[in-house]
Amino acid sequence: MHISEGVLSTSVLFTGAVLSIAGLALGLRRIRNADIPKVAVLSSAFFVASLIHIPIGPSSAHLVLNGLVGVLLGWAAFPSIFVGLVLQALVFQFGGLTTLGVNTFAMAMPGVVVYFAFKKFIKKGRNTAFIGGVLAGASAIILSAVLISIALLETEKSFIGIAGTFLAVHLPIALIEGIITGFVVVYLKKVKPEALG
Amino acid sequence: MKKTLFIILFVFLFQSLIVLFYSVSTEAHKVSAYVYREGDKVIGECYFVDGAPCKNSKVEVYDKEGRKIVETVTDEKGNFSFKTSNKDELKIVIPAGEGHRAEYTLAALEQVTAKNEIKKTGTQQSRQAQELKLPESLINKDELRQIINEAMDSKLQGLQNEVRDIRKQLDTINYRDIIGGIGYIFGVWGLIMMLKGKKNAS
Repeated sequence: MHISEGVLSTSVLFTGAVLSIAGLALGLRRIRNADIPKVAVLSSAFFVASLIHIPIGPSSAHLVLNGLVGVLLGWAAFPSIFVGLVLQALVFQFGGLTTLGVNTFAMAMPGVVVYFAFKKFIKKGRNTAFIGGVLAGASAIILSAVLISIALLETEKSFIGIAGTFLAVHLPIALIEGIITGFVVVYLKKVKPEALG
Repeated sequence: MKKTLFIILFVFLFQSLIVLFYSVSTEAHKVSAYVYREGDKVIGECYFVDGAPCKNSKVEVYDKEGRKIVETVTDEKGNFSFKTSNKDELKIVIPAGEGHRAEYTLAALEQVTAKNEIKKTGTQQSRQAQELKLPESLINKDELRQIINEAMDSKLQGLQNEVRDIRKQLDTINYRDIIGGIGYIFGVWGLIMMLKGKKNAS
């Protein structure tokens, strides 16, 4: 899911950076002080999730958890994921510092989208909330795969080819993350409903 | 209540990480390469962050001016080699696809040869004297060179393997990195909280 350094052209990097800065500004303004521990925990969850690899056929992909981060944080997903990505770039050399903008946008934006798309589901009863969580977790991954494919469009030449492989690899991940997100949403609904607000 | 909940969530994630961290994965995120010279030959190995080889991947070699001079493919074990007479700095790029890419800069040989030349001129006189003493028929210079090369090769092989293994270890992720990274994240958010708190108070 992370694009390495030196793959993208300057214009793509610049566009990604501008979009991410807008998202970051919006996200930072929305965070209330009381929410910060939640944002920090989800930053760390995002940070470690990338180390969990799931082997699929000849290749493998890792968890992203951007759907979960998005559902719980809304616009604050931008700063949360950004901090996680900075640390991943510095500590594990996943992605890179120049591609931070593109990677942040590709992973945080789907989180924000699913937050607004499935907000109503998650506020309803237990079963509806579970379905909403599953759909949110899964569609965030699929949207991210599409965004990454768009970013790689210039480098890889064939959009269908790269998007195809990306989606194929990430479908099982989408399923797993959907289930994780669904259970977390239901669990939070039971013990801490205001965390979903 | 809120605290315990998040601690539970966190412990759950961390545990799943530990369980899955050592599970088999054929492709990981970061691509790394280790390249060295052996005479005219350049030998390299390409691997993912978990040490798995980077199979059948394209390898591009650029010279100092940025021109592509060689293009080759890694084998099943992620190894590749090519011959080049270029002694300058070489840049080896491995585009592993899907936005992954490794770069390795192979240092120029110039410095080494320059040093040797200085030595040569300095010791030329004494060497000439030595050469005079040795009967030419006894040991052929080329033969001697070959013998030394062979002896050195077998000795260096072990060292080279060790260097490669150490490099691989450095490239893989260890628990110190993970725990340190989490610590940094909490530190960063703590700082943000502090700054926001100040703003609200004033």
